[in-house]
Amino acid sequence: MVYPAIVLVRTSLARYSITGRHQGWVGLGNYARLLGQEALPTVVSNTIVWVLTIVAVTLVLSLGLAQLLNARFPGRNVVRWTLIVPWAASLIVTSKLFVWIYDYYFGILNGALVGLGVLGGPVDWLGNDRTVMSAMIAVGVFDSLPFTTYVLLAGLATIPNDVHEAARVDGASPWRAYRSVTLPLLKPALLVATALNVIYVFNSFPIVWTLNDRNPGFAHDTMITYMYKIAFRSGLRDVGLAAAVGVVNVALILVAVAAYLRTVNWRDAEA
Amino acid sequence: MRTPLTLLLVFVMAFTSGACGRGGSAITVVIAEYSKDHTKPFWQGLAEQYTKQTGTKVDLRFIDWNSIDQQVSTMIQANQPPDVLNLNSFSSYAKDRLLYSADEVLSPKTKDDFIEAFARGGRYQGTLYGFPILSSARAFFYNQDLFARAGIAAPPKTWDEFLDAATKIQKLGGGAIGYALPLGPEEAQAEWSIWMWNGGGDWKSGEQWAINSDANVATLSFLSDLANRHKVTQVNPGKTNRTDGAFQLFKDGKVGMVMGFSPFAKELDAEKKVRYGVAAMPTRGSSAVTLGVEDYLMGFKKKDNQDAVKKFLDLYYQPENITKWITAEGFLPVTKSGLTQMSANEKLRPYLDALPNARLAPTTDPAWDKVKLDVQQNIGRAVQPDGKPRQVLDELQKNAVASGGR
Repeated sequence: MVYPAIVLVRTSLARYSITGRHQGWVGLGNYARLLGQEALPTVVSNTIVWVLTIVAVTLVLSLGLAQLLNARFPGRNVVRWTLIVPWAASLIVTSKLFVWIYDYYFGILNGALVGLGVLGGPVDWLGNDRTVMSAMIAVGVFDSLPFTTYVLLAGLATIPNDVHEAARVDGASPWRAYRSVTLPLLKPALLVATALNVIYVFNSFPIVWTLNDRNPGFAHDTMITYMYKIAFRSGLRDVGLAAAVGVVNVALILVAVAAYLRTVNWRDAEA
Repeated sequence: MRTPLTLLLVFVMAFTSGACGRGGSAITVVIAEYSKDHTKPFWQGLAEQYTKQTGTKVDLRFIDWNSIDQQVSTMIQANQPPDVLNLNSFSSYAKDRLLYSADEVLSPKTKDDFIEAFARGGRYQGTLYGFPILSSARAFFYNQDLFARAGIAAPPKTWDEFLDAATKIQKLGGGAIGYALPLGPEEAQAEWSIWMWNGGGDWKSGEQWAINSDANVATLSFLSDLANRHKVTQVNPGKTNRTDGAFQLFKDGKVGMVMGFSPFAKELDAEKKVRYGVAAMPTRGSSAVTLGVEDYLMGFKKKDNQDAVKKFLDLYYQPENITKWITAEGFLPVTKSGLTQMSANEKLRPYLDALPNARLAPTTDPAWDKVKLDVQQNIGRAVQPDGKPRQVLDELQKNAVASGGR
């Protein structure tokens, strides 16, 4: 676990030729150059939108789904198993599938929306600068739902039945009981789901890489795909600079998660 | 701190002992995966033959094109280069002095058999380091049914005729597209090269980069007009890749014209869905220019591996071996003997005819490896509705000049 981190930091302090040959140490030079990259502000703001939107939408939808799957109804097990599928499927496969769903000429999404009269004509979901981020976020949510729902479902299962009963006896409406009893008791599960999702979504590579591969430049990249493009797919072709992005990424995620857990008082929730 | 240090030591030991233990008993050969069906069987067979002849084992690795740059770079960073590498670029490796020259690892007979244009494309500062492994040439594909329906008698020879044909096909309606223009990141440099050369421009003028020449600005503006003024291309050509974009549309019979190459013809023949013809590129100049692409084999200088590398390369370049593989993959020859053997194949005639007039990208310049990626990532921006061809080319030129110095 530690060795790759050391290598990453060491790599970020050096300069490499395009073939990967070490050409000398540059101190913090790569970090200084990173701050000067024209695309950096765009990529940072893409990353913030990407992470926050996916995590927020996923949590809201998962709360509903978990509640639904916690209720007893015929076929519940089937639905529970179905929900695992997007999670169990390879992310690359899922992403490729969505590339075809979104396709301008062959995609079923345009077919359906035009057929229903929602759209006047097809939309190039992945090529239009205004829609590509939302299209990727939708896939991100689709893929984060199963895990999050299951964490919340596990959280729901730990809430003893007598609290629900007590609330009912006290005359609380279902919505009131949910807000005042279920949600507070779900807090630990929500915290875990949020923190893990932030890390997972931030580090997610295949969705953005696959759905955005047709678009030139860095206009729709997140920090993770930006790092990869700097190393291997752009005119920069610079492993040292990419390693600096990698170190910044790790630092960013640590700070973000620590700050989050601090503001929501992780320990209180546990107690 | 104990654990990381110990780990580091283990790693260092693993690396050094790996290098020592290798000495002559095995070579590592890295091959790019050209196709699922043909690449592996051929090279495994060749490796077996090699081991039988020399007693040296072959550690054969197949890497897909998407990750080969990354994996090779990691090998070199870890000080563990392969002995033989197959890639689409070589000059950066030659510049870093990692490679054997042709004199060191090829027999004179093999060296003299290379078609001169491809040997020239493998030289760095006058010495042959990138040994041609196979080649391809682009050609102009057109959908015969759409041409007939639009009343176009023959494939266009000039850009005016081309625009006329594209307009007529687009006017057929029903989703017909005049020309599929892929300027997304996958292979934009290839599509651009062809248009650029046929528009009278070039990558370089003498030894200097000339990416933003007036001729090139005019060509890129012509492409932008195809998309935005005449509207005879597919949607968002700057954001369309070749394989799952332009080729897919042509295979589906939606597209009148596209730039293809021989493996694409193989796919079309297998699907039998589209009746197509193959012709020379439309041009603004006096004769059509096409893009030739060669890939390379390289031998990495390592202690005690020269003889083993030489024997392996000589085995591949036996006429029966190299031709067998190139034929199976649907590519074109790089040797004179191969050219003679394959010229009997009628299917390959348009490409073989185009080979003498094919031009190569400036792969002999180590800066090209970065310029190519920069073009792939940026040229598509120029054909967007708000794109600025001159500005995009100016930036590419600036970066190209800068990467020459590094």
